[in-house]
Amino acid sequence: MTAPPLAHAGHWIASLLYVAPVALIVCALLWQSWREKRRKGGA
Amino acid sequence: MSGVLVVPPIAHGLVGRTDLPIPAWLFGWGAAVVLVVSFVALAVLWPRPRLEGAHERRVLHVPAWLEIPFGLIGIGLFVLIVYAGLEGAQVDTANLTPTFVYVLFWVGLLPLQVLFGDVFALFNPWRAVGRAAGWVSSRIAGDALPEPMAYPERLGRWPAAIGILCFAWLELVSTSRSDPSTLAVLILAYAAIQLVGMSLYGVSQWERYGDAFAVYFNLFARLSPLRWERGTLYVRALLSGVTTLDAVPGTVAVLCTMIGTTTFDGFSNGPVWSDLAPKVTDVFTSIGFGQATALQLAFTVGLLVVVGIVSLLYRGGAAGMRSVAPEHSTTWLARTFVHTLTPIALAYAVAHYFSFLAYQGQALAYLAANPLGRTLAEGDNGWLGTANWGIDYTWVGARTIWYVQVGALVLGHVAGLVLAHDRALKVFPDPKEATRSQYWMLVVMVAFTSLGLWLLSVR
Repeated sequence: MTAPPLAHAGHWIASLLYVAPVALIVCALLWQSWREKRRKGGA
Repeated sequence: MSGVLVVPPIAHGLVGRTDLPIPAWLFGWGAAVVLVVSFVALAVLWPRPRLEGAHERRVLHVPAWLEIPFGLIGIGLFVLIVYAGLEGAQVDTANLTPTFVYVLFWVGLLPLQVLFGDVFALFNPWRAVGRAAGWVSSRIAGDALPEPMAYPERLGRWPAAIGILCFAWLELVSTSRSDPSTLAVLILAYAAIQLVGMSLYGVSQWERYGDAFAVYFNLFARLSPLRWERGTLYVRALLSGVTTLDAVPGTVAVLCTMIGTTTFDGFSNGPVWSDLAPKVTDVFTSIGFGQATALQLAFTVGLLVVVGIVSLLYRGGAAGMRSVAPEHSTTWLARTFVHTLTPIALAYAVAHYFSFLAYQGQALAYLAANPLGRTLAEGDNGWLGTANWGIDYTWVGARTIWYVQVGALVLGHVAGLVLAHDRALKVFPDPKEATRSQYWMLVVMVAFTSLGLWLLSVR
């Protein structure tokens, strides 16, 4: 019996939830670094 | 692996979680919040280094010869374990050797190291033999005895890193991992290598850099508030011992191997590896390897890849620090902050092996009563009278185990953040710069915490 392609989607989505905090902090750091660069460029 | 070959008698992930009040992933988010709050609190409340160069206080002194009985006990246990492995029943669940090595030695010593300092050094049998041989030789040869060779600086802790990786390979990959006689032979071979190393470079030098187990256990002992040296007991601030770690070449490799191998242990019990392992195994069978060899090769690749990923993750955090300190190389920063990985290695070990120790540790009671695993007569319960004991799987519940695991991971990573912040204040005199330098280390800590919790939640 062939497994439906999305059979494990629930597992993958649940696993991705563990990556969310890391992704959130990385995004915050990148945004802050971009803002700093822009401020320095403007000064 | 267990599904394809023999079921390992000493499986690490023993229980699942049930009835948690919130979804498991939410613990990951909670842990991340704790780490971010800790990071902010450190930036505000910890403006100067407190652990670096912290003083230790001498509290007790006993004659150095009192170390001799501990060394003799270590040698006695070594002989017993080797003898049991070679002469006892070749059944891993009946013979003391596999459980002694994987449960009492590899896992059970960790809490003792953290609580009481370097207990392993006291009992280390090859160290005891090496010191005794050195003492006898100096009595016989006197001044004619040549000085040990200088330990090669470039070698650093690489022999220890390779030793830990080999032990992890044996435990997690080899199909002979629980075979008592194989273990006994490997123990003898390891001891012989240590004696050669000690005779070439001196006992203390080799113990400090070359002996994989001495290095492994000493790292955890550095987290202890107690330190023993030549019969003198010192008390120091918690975590301060690890700041004195000399980050010679190979030290980053040792800690990344410790974390990476534990990570692979969890990962190899999860669904992702269950899907992946057969595919990797097929690659090796397609080029002519037998099924068992192909499976071991697949697990070897998995082990090395996971250790590599952990190393890259840490190196990424060190590279991130260069945004504040471009004058330092990534390698220099990785070495300077490597001690911060020690509490994380401990957290991973506690999280992954707590249930293993709690349950499988009980087997020591009946195995010690009948170490060779001989068939006993009716009513004979061995020399300790405990050969009829069993394992009580109810004394600690699945929920308690989960909370211990989460607590260990969070505490370990907070300790890592504290150590990194303290070191940053020493490296970067401006506290604001020190905090900024640690942004990417915060990402690494949150990533390790999330990875640890994910591994525990999916198996």
